[in-house]
Amino acid sequence: MPGDERNDRVIEVHGLARVEGEGSLKVAISNGEVTDVALTIFEPPRFFEAMLVGRDGTEAPDITSRICGICPVAYQLTACAAIEDAYGIQPSAEVAALRRLLYCGEWIQSHALHIHLLHAPDFFGCADAVELAKLDRSAIERGLRLKRMGNQLMELVGGRAVHPVNIRVGGFYRSPQESEISGLIDPLLRARDDALATLEWVAGFDFPDVERDYRFVALRTGHNYPIESGFVATSDGLELSPRAFAERVDEQHVERSTALQARLDGEAYLTGPLARFALNKDHLPAIALEAARRGGIADGCTNPFKSIIVRAIELVFACDEALRLARAYSPPSPSAATFEPRGGTGHGVTEAPRGLLLNRYVLDPDGTILLARIMPPTSQNQLSIETDLRQVVEAGLELSADALTSRCELAVRNHDPCISCAAHFLDVEIDRR
Amino acid sequence: MTSGVVVAGLGSEYRQDDGAGPAVARRIAEMVDYITDVGPMGEPLDLLGRWDEADLAIVIDSMRSGAELGAVEVFDLSEADLERDLVGTTTVSTHGIGFIGTLRLSRALDRAPSRVLLVAIEGRHFDQGMGLSEAVQNGVDQAVERIVDLLGDGRTDV
Repeated sequence: MPGDERNDRVIEVHGLARVEGEGSLKVAISNGEVTDVALTIFEPPRFFEAMLVGRDGTEAPDITSRICGICPVAYQLTACAAIEDAYGIQPSAEVAALRRLLYCGEWIQSHALHIHLLHAPDFFGCADAVELAKLDRSAIERGLRLKRMGNQLMELVGGRAVHPVNIRVGGFYRSPQESEISGLIDPLLRARDDALATLEWVAGFDFPDVERDYRFVALRTGHNYPIESGFVATSDGLELSPRAFAERVDEQHVERSTALQARLDGEAYLTGPLARFALNKDHLPAIALEAARRGGIADGCTNPFKSIIVRAIELVFACDEALRLARAYSPPSPSAATFEPRGGTGHGVTEAPRGLLLNRYVLDPDGTILLARIMPPTSQNQLSIETDLRQVVEAGLELSADALTSRCELAVRNHDPCISCAAHFLDVEIDRR
Repeated sequence: MTSGVVVAGLGSEYRQDDGAGPAVARRIAEMVDYITDVGPMGEPLDLLGRWDEADLAIVIDSMRSGAELGAVEVFDLSEADLERDLVGTTTVSTHGIGFIGTLRLSRALDRAPSRVLLVAIEGRHFDQGMGLSEAVQNGVDQAVERIVDLLGDGRTDV
């Protein structure tokens, strides 16, 4: 398009909507070529890393849970894993199972929120979930039912849905009774049906025809779909302990962003549902594998816009896994392992809903934190998201400014970036006429 | 009015003056025991499902309007046209759907409480860190008094 103004323009979105936190994006195009792509993140967890220094290691789960209101369990259980690694604690099998059940609740509420209220409106040309509710009320109602199911699970196991209070290093403060957990079975059966309906719904969306050559990074366990533990695997064959992964990931600060950008052995990579699915789909239960087949991606998925299908498959999985764990539940007794603090370095990795989360703590002999490192999924995905944006813009130069901007925003939302918790005060203009 | 009342404080105590809403909700929770649901809520969306059956919802949040620091405003949103009357109001929200969005969604799903009062406290410092400005702390005291007054004599008018 020589001489076409669409070949020379700048796309800017100052306050990204429907993402978890405060961010912006800017894409510059000159002579039909993308010359600059910048996903800017304002809100990092660095404040928390500094705040953790000097605190007792046992406080890390509660403090880090405040980083995010959507995935507090991820932060709590990753901190627990890291401190337990440092202290040499091996939680019981019952504690591990109850933690996995709790984490399923967080996956259910987070995926339900993102699919129905944050991501789906894009595929209908809706500005937000309110507009979508007017078009397809039943879908939004279903999403809210699923979110409540996740919250219910978190409230029962974690003590409350937002920033749960029942989690501690070594296990739990209180083990739920069998009768309490068995009360979840019928609601989970209904939730699993809702999740299957959601999968049918999203599989019918129209998707841009984009394929990416991602380097995927996710946990693997060798025996199940990873959530609360595992080793780090990559799509090019690496298998790393949490410690080795932490050593090989380099986080670099870029001036425009307060989040660090991560590279594994110098290369960008992607964590999250697409990566988990690519590296672990052989460990999905039959009902989720069948869901993947119906979603048309049983052989894998490298189209970032279809991440909503993968998220729906994981929603089916999380409901099914929670159901399995609820049926097999045996209350941990004692509810937590006893331990003595000791000095050392501990690493923890888990799969937060939107990707791999790493915690690393250096502790002095009485258990005081000397150094904390928190590597959330979004800083790991930032470079890959920018590459997505470059490809989307290059493929969409013929689109109008509004259409291309919307496509770029969707490209960011594909990865459900969690830009860490920020303030949410009201900006108000009071008209006193 | 003492039944079917939800009191919710929105905000983050780790963002200085943004912690005003949770501070008020905690105080109210210590003072009254007849409210259906009371307490800090980190995410406005958590109101969905918790305020659906309420006759009255009182939501406390911090605001940035240019008013004097710590000033308290009470807005009755029960009949407000959220698209028209709140054209100058945006929610700076962590998770995509803020308080106004939550109220709009509740209305779209016919789940909004009969009455919704927003108690807003003017803040200025929203950077990372704990603790309220002194004037905002005074605003918290005022907000608590006004809410107790509203609940105590059964009035829901403002």
